[in-house]
Amino acid sequence: METIAVYWERRIKTYGFEKLADLALIEFSYPLGRIKSLGEILSQNDLQALNPKFMIAQESDGEISLLLCAAADKGKRFHESVKRETGRASHRYIHPVGIIFFHGPHFGDRYGIADATFSALLRSDIPILASGCSSSSIYLVLAQDSMDKAVEVLSKPFEVAK
Amino acid sequence: MEKLKIGGLKQSLELCQFDLKGRNSSEKIVSRVTKLLASHKINIDFLTCNPNSTRYHQFTFCVSQDKVFDTSKLLKAKGVLPTGWEMDCREHVGILTVFPHQSALNIVGAIMIAWATHSIPMYGLSTSLSAVSFVTDYRLIEKSVEVIQDSFLLPENRSPLKPELRYYQSDTVKGR
Repeated sequence: METIAVYWERRIKTYGFEKLADLALIEFSYPLGRIKSLGEILSQNDLQALNPKFMIAQESDGEISLLLCAAADKGKRFHESVKRETGRASHRYIHPVGIIFFHGPHFGDRYGIADATFSALLRSDIPILASGCSSSSIYLVLAQDSMDKAVEVLSKPFEVAK
Repeated sequence: MEKLKIGGLKQSLELCQFDLKGRNSSEKIVSRVTKLLASHKINIDFLTCNPNSTRYHQFTFCVSQDKVFDTSKLLKAKGVLPTGWEMDCREHVGILTVFPHQSALNIVGAIMIAWATHSIPMYGLSTSLSAVSFVTDYRLIEKSVEVIQDSFLLPENRSPLKPELRYYQSDTVKGR
């Protein structure tokens, strides 16, 4: 059965922009062939207090790169722990960073959401440190001091549903 | 060992994954590619970008498997990708979304262990407010679901695993 419905938003509706500040961004790479051992590291009980607010992983050239954002104090300890556990040289730690995340009633069902987001930020010269879009949500990791401006510029293509 | 509780599972339709990467920084690449896809009415089901990675800049996204040819053609057009950037296309992938009850970090770790034990690949992941989405081989997605069902405690009244509706976007919008 096919049902045809027509609906077009002049401005893309979102349920609102959520902001999280004073976070640390931590990134490290791990050999893909040893992903089980990475899983064992991430499953350790003493790491669970980290409670990351955002996480992405990308795979390439036999390595998996894990990037996460967590509260600054816990993030610093996690970074030190990962350095010890993995013994790897390729690490990244940035503090302070912030996250803006938002979702909407039609995210995931239509094209143009990512374009509206990234074009708005590019036009205003707001650099993105990382991003993840899944399950109808958009997460943007930005330098902390650019968060307010980012919400301002995203409020043009997106309309907060009332 | 006590099984971790999760709230549910959802699997995607068949997708293809594109990995764009290069050593030279390019703030514009994500915007350029998403604009190009939007102008051709191609929906992005999953996206991760890490413009300043320790190794290189990487932008990964998934679109419907039936858009693989159109998307490849668009990305291969001259001038779309900056000099030195390369594109990898991995067809027949799927996304398995896990709705966690407990720590996302613990769940990511446990799924890495469980999938590695059963030789199920993990091509990427991204968290959202209430879920973790994993990209894996679509041909192994049923097995990946079984492994998770064996490894975690799921509620009895969980929602359906597979999408029951498929949305198609019309090429024309009347009354716009």
